[in-house]
Amino acid sequence: MYHTSKIKVKPFMKMADLIDANPSLLLMLQHFDIDFRVSDQTVVQLCTQYGISENLFVSIANLYNGFGTKGHEPFNREDLARVIDFLKKSHHYYRSDKYPQISSYIRQLQVNHTEKELKLLEKFFHEYFTEVIEHLDYEDNVAFPYFITLLNSDNDREKEEIYSSREYSEHHSDIELKLQDLKNLLLKYVRIEGDLDLRRRLFFALYELEFDLYIHSLIEETILIPSGVGIEREQNA
Amino acid sequence: MHKSPVHIAIMESSKIIYEGLQSILYQSDMDCRVCRVETLEELMEMLTSHPIDMLIVNPLQFVNREKEIKKIRRSYPLLSVAGIDFGIMQKQSLLTDLSFSLYDSVEHIIHSLSRLDKKNHAATGQKEENDNLSKREMEVLTGLVNGMLNKEIADSLNISIHTVVRHRKNITQKTGIRSQSGLTIYAISKKIVSIEDIDL
Repeated sequence: MYHTSKIKVKPFMKMADLIDANPSLLLMLQHFDIDFRVSDQTVVQLCTQYGISENLFVSIANLYNGFGTKGHEPFNREDLARVIDFLKKSHHYYRSDKYPQISSYIRQLQVNHTEKELKLLEKFFHEYFTEVIEHLDYEDNVAFPYFITLLNSDNDREKEEIYSSREYSEHHSDIELKLQDLKNLLLKYVRIEGDLDLRRRLFFALYELEFDLYIHSLIEETILIPSGVGIEREQNA
Repeated sequence: MHKSPVHIAIMESSKIIYEGLQSILYQSDMDCRVCRVETLEELMEMLTSHPIDMLIVNPLQFVNREKEIKKIRRSYPLLSVAGIDFGIMQKQSLLTDLSFSLYDSVEHIIHSLSRLDKKNHAATGQKEENDNLSKREMEVLTGLVNGMLNKEIADSLNISIHTVVRHRKNITQKTGIRSQSGLTIYAISKKIVSIEDIDL
């Protein structure tokens, strides 16, 4: 689920074929609020049905497939509103799907094994999870509302509110770093006897989370922030 | 003994040639990571932040830049340089360690590049990346795990803060673990500290 495919997505391609080549795109559909039963529709048809611009959909799909967003058409305000919606949906996925899943695996591991390191591992994960929630809250309560105000305003009165994209990316790197630590601890150091099914499920969940977090920050850094700066400039002109 | 992957930068403006080289390198037995640089400036910048073991270059990129190349080679003696031979360069021997032609067989190219890499390693000694911490590093780690500040660790071990920071950097590099709580779990798994000493 966390692999990328080196197929460059183009508007006339069939969505079902694209999913077949890279199942991670299902996650993208879900973040766009698109049903998985895509029938025989092409990317263009799907975009029309759900009212998403082809430009935006293709750009994000290509991020999932391992390509950069270079050379896309500029995104308009409607696209950016969609992007924010997309990012909010992915927050929901972290909060109510991925983290509880990982958390329950770690708890189960602790029940099955007496090693005390596992208790510490659980503590580690909880501290980490708390930080992640803080970051998601920050985006939901500070960063996204700022962007929405920016999108809806025609003058520059709102710009007093300072939005720091640097603060933004610092948060991100910290989140990725701790996740890396967790994987390294499990892959290299913490000894656990057997229980391979559970441990594999845990690894897969961690890699799925890592992959979506990675795309999430790519979307913010290559689409949301540059386009936000573009709108600010336009307003100043 | 484990050997770390060879980091290769390719400076060649043709995308077809770059991708072709990358693809034969990845399919070969060489354990390598390949990246592309466009200009000499980009290469110099990259060298300051990433270790690069080998540069594969279109020597046309070196034309009229001899001075800078020589400077790079002096500053980074461990960097080996392989030139792509288009049959039009003279003086390449001064600036590159070997050259190959795009029409050479894949086996030949890989063989020359691996030999170049081995030669380089023999000259510098193996650079090992494993998590065997030195005694000092273990002492610093123990301090960290016990929640001591850099200053306190420095005082208790009679070393400078600067040295503590260097040890911490090495610990992270060797273990791949960066957060304090992650290092605690590492230290317990490796029995560097006992779990009884930790507040749960």
